[in-house]
Amino acid sequence: MIRVDDLHKSFGAVKAVDGVSFTAPDGAVTGLLGPNGAGKTTTLRMLYALMRPDRGTISVDGVDAVAQPQQAQNRLGVLPDVSGLYPRLTPREHIEYYGQLQGLSGAALAERMRQLLHILDMEKIADRRAQGFSHGERTKVALARALVHDPRNVLLDEPTNGLDVMSTRAVRDIIRRLKADGRCVLFSSHVMQEVSALCDTIIVIARGRIVASGSPDELRAQTGHENLEDAFVALVGLDQGATA
Amino acid sequence: MSGFGQALVVFRKEVKDAFRDKRALYSIVIGALFGPLLVGFMLNRLADRQRQIEEVRIPIVGMEHAPALIEWLRQQAGVEVVAGPADAESAVAERQEDVVVVIPAEFQKKFRSSSPAQVKVVSDGSRTTSRPKVLRVRGLLQRYSGEIGTMRLVSRGVSPAIATPIQLEEVEVSSAQQRAATILNFIPLFIVLAAFTGGMQIATDSTAGERERGSLEPLLVNPAPRRAIAAGKWLAAAFAAMLSVLLTTALVLAMLRYIPMQEFGIRFRLGPAQIFGLLGAVVPMCLLSTGIQTYLSTFARSFKEAQTYMGILIMFPMLPGILSSVYPLSSKPWMYPIPVLGQHVLAADVLGGKAPAWWAFVIAATAALVGGLLLLELTTRLLKRERIIFSR
Repeated sequence: MIRVDDLHKSFGAVKAVDGVSFTAPDGAVTGLLGPNGAGKTTTLRMLYALMRPDRGTISVDGVDAVAQPQQAQNRLGVLPDVSGLYPRLTPREHIEYYGQLQGLSGAALAERMRQLLHILDMEKIADRRAQGFSHGERTKVALARALVHDPRNVLLDEPTNGLDVMSTRAVRDIIRRLKADGRCVLFSSHVMQEVSALCDTIIVIARGRIVASGSPDELRAQTGHENLEDAFVALVGLDQGATA
Repeated sequence: MSGFGQALVVFRKEVKDAFRDKRALYSIVIGALFGPLLVGFMLNRLADRQRQIEEVRIPIVGMEHAPALIEWLRQQAGVEVVAGPADAESAVAERQEDVVVVIPAEFQKKFRSSSPAQVKVVSDGSRTTSRPKVLRVRGLLQRYSGEIGTMRLVSRGVSPAIATPIQLEEVEVSSAQQRAATILNFIPLFIVLAAFTGGMQIATDSTAGERERGSLEPLLVNPAPRRAIAAGKWLAAAFAAMLSVLLTTALVLAMLRYIPMQEFGIRFRLGPAQIFGLLGAVVPMCLLSTGIQTYLSTFARSFKEAQTYMGILIMFPMLPGILSSVYPLSSKPWMYPIPVLGQHVLAADVLGGKAPAWWAFVIAATAALVGGLLLLELTTRLLKRERIIFSR
């Protein structure tokens, strides 16, 4: 479970995150929805402890991510916004590398690697070097290495961005499977359909603030729009310029 | 898991990755090949030239005017007398000959009457390559002149000692010997240079390259101390640099076996003591050179920028080498802890047959290790900065 309270982060004069609070429970998928530049990536970076918040607290399964970043990272599986691979290593070696950094070894690591390669349907490319992999294949490798230590909490930053239909389905399957296993899944997206198809709770973010949150139905009710996309546009205030 | 174990994981990954990288392999192998091949080539040329000087071929115009001189010349070791070109001066000016001896027609008459008989030595003073040959020809003629003079004095009952107010004793430090020594001075330079070129590719690829590929962010999400990650990358680069140093040293040794050093009159020993001395001087240096490279590449905004820094950095190991070819560096204790300079004087002393004291190696190695650890700390701090992690 991830609990965020009153998170602030500025870059110079720009307030990227301005008082964000939410809770992402176990066994549920929570979506961070917002246009580009709304503060989704910055929020996630603070959650996986690569950025220090100016103010506010983050707790991952009760661990303070600001004070004890490594203990928090232990409990997190992360697919960052940019997930580059090593072109000269194979998917198997990528997963192995992260597994070893997480402290896995021997038979346990081998078994986990076998599982992940199977779940993500990567057995055929498992021993091919990552050079020249398609976007979908690269995302699968990045996802597999992020999940190697079987984390309780999973953070995914725009996981389906730029993926084709088949790869998108594979990612969605993984997210549903994680939820069924009782994991806490938090992912960001700027695509409405994506979020509504998967999420139990949607948190709408714009200009560094949370403008609404709730289940897809609650959001529809809140805005009075039947169409979720219209609801989204109304919430983030994209239509204000046009109507004013 | 301990930070040490994670550093080892990063180290193993970077080494494996680098050995699949053609560029990293080239930077190890070419860095190692270049120096020994250059030194070998230069020494070989020098040996050839030395042989040419000893086996001198003298074109002589007017041989018939001085049969006794010609006969004497022919008896000297390594001398070949041939008929000279018709126009001696233009032959030398046009570089067909390095030197031509001209014996005028009146030689015989003057020689018999015991008055100085003229012999012309035609040469081009502006050509440095022919100078040793000219000197040898001139020396031969002067020796002949001296021998005849001595005989003349003796036949008149005069001691030749009277006609020799000064006895010159020349200590022969031939130019070939000097040049061979200069070339050998390059060897420490090339070995120190290998400590800089060998790890360069890993240092840049594993830091600036890692960020440019977008793999730094996911890597740092792993619960490993930044120091462990920085240490793994640094040590992988140091390992490659050490390999390059070993390879360079091995190639230098192999090459020197094929160069007949005694032809230069140089006493040059390369036994196990010298080999271990060389390695003991330079191998610890790899920790410092790659420490600097890892730090600079982590700091650089892009892979290209990192490579620019590497290009500037490579100038430093050349400084003592360049200095020593102009201004001979003799080792002083204060030089040992100074990076590059310390290694250079240690290596030069080892090759020169003066074994430095054991503590000199310890001082130089300690300075390199301390410098390397200091840079590791600085790199670790860089990896904690958000601007470094996310600036792409």
